[in-house]
Amino acid sequence: MKKNSTKITIFLGVICALITAGSSWYSVVFNDSRFVVPMDLSVYAFRMQDLPMIVSGILFALYILYLFAMLMRIIRIKKQNGASSRMTKRADPRLGLLGFFGFTGFLGFWTYQADKTVFPFVFFIFFGFFGFFYEGKLSATLMDERYCENKLKANYSANKAAMYIIFFATVFLGQGTLMGNLEYTFIAYIITVALAIALNLFLSSFLLYRYDHEELPKESEG
Amino acid sequence: MPDFVCRLKRYRQLMDLTQEQLANQVGVRRETIMRLEKAQYNPSLKLAVDISRAVGTPIEEIFIFDLEEFNSRDTGEKNGEKN
Repeated sequence: MKKNSTKITIFLGVICALITAGSSWYSVVFNDSRFVVPMDLSVYAFRMQDLPMIVSGILFALYILYLFAMLMRIIRIKKQNGASSRMTKRADPRLGLLGFFGFTGFLGFWTYQADKTVFPFVFFIFFGFFGFFYEGKLSATLMDERYCENKLKANYSANKAAMYIIFFATVFLGQGTLMGNLEYTFIAYIITVALAIALNLFLSSFLLYRYDHEELPKESEG
Repeated sequence: MPDFVCRLKRYRQLMDLTQEQLANQVGVRRETIMRLEKAQYNPSLKLAVDISRAVGTPIEEIFIFDLEEFNSRDTGEKNGEKN
């Protein structure tokens, strides 16, 4: 993204935030906090005082759409550049430390006890980010035919391993009788699938690195 | 492991090319050339052609496959066709 468009994006974001803050203040002071506190929209009747909140809501939605369009544009440009450069993207191996976020998956046990929320179990997927360690080691590497071949091989093995786990988990947990409790079965299934996806992400990077570096000839230059 | 003999090193040295230079000419990494010279990597037809052009030698001079095994397979296939 160019500097100018970055400035415009930030400026529009600040304007949106100010308009939202202003209309929220207006609603709280002059309009019984309508649209600020949760309200039942099934019995909604329009009032002129609602207009600032409605306008700010529309502007905010347009801003989100604008951000989304910008993101798509950046991704498209990066893809085009990537296709022509034939180099792997630059990544710091320290990004592999993000894998430790996988431990946040254990929060699920706490939230399930507290209010039956199971979504945090999905965070086990973050364990897959340990693969960034190996991706970083292969950053800015020329993607020649051996690299592409190894990548296909690594992806195939990683997908196969993950699919086996998901297959057996589906067959085993699909009976729904883990500890005689359907909820526990569901949780076990979420954890297993999340870990299988994490394994897939990790293995595809790890195996690519391993295939690329295995049996390296000792003789270097001749 | 590919079952062939690779004589790339000899022809590369005759052309006074380093692995790095050859790799740059044919658009691969130096590690790929190293593995090729050790016959640890089976190249695509395109890469083999590019290499043969870069070192000015026919492909069959650079990559020699096990002739005995090739001949025995060939004979076996012919016998199978006859039966």
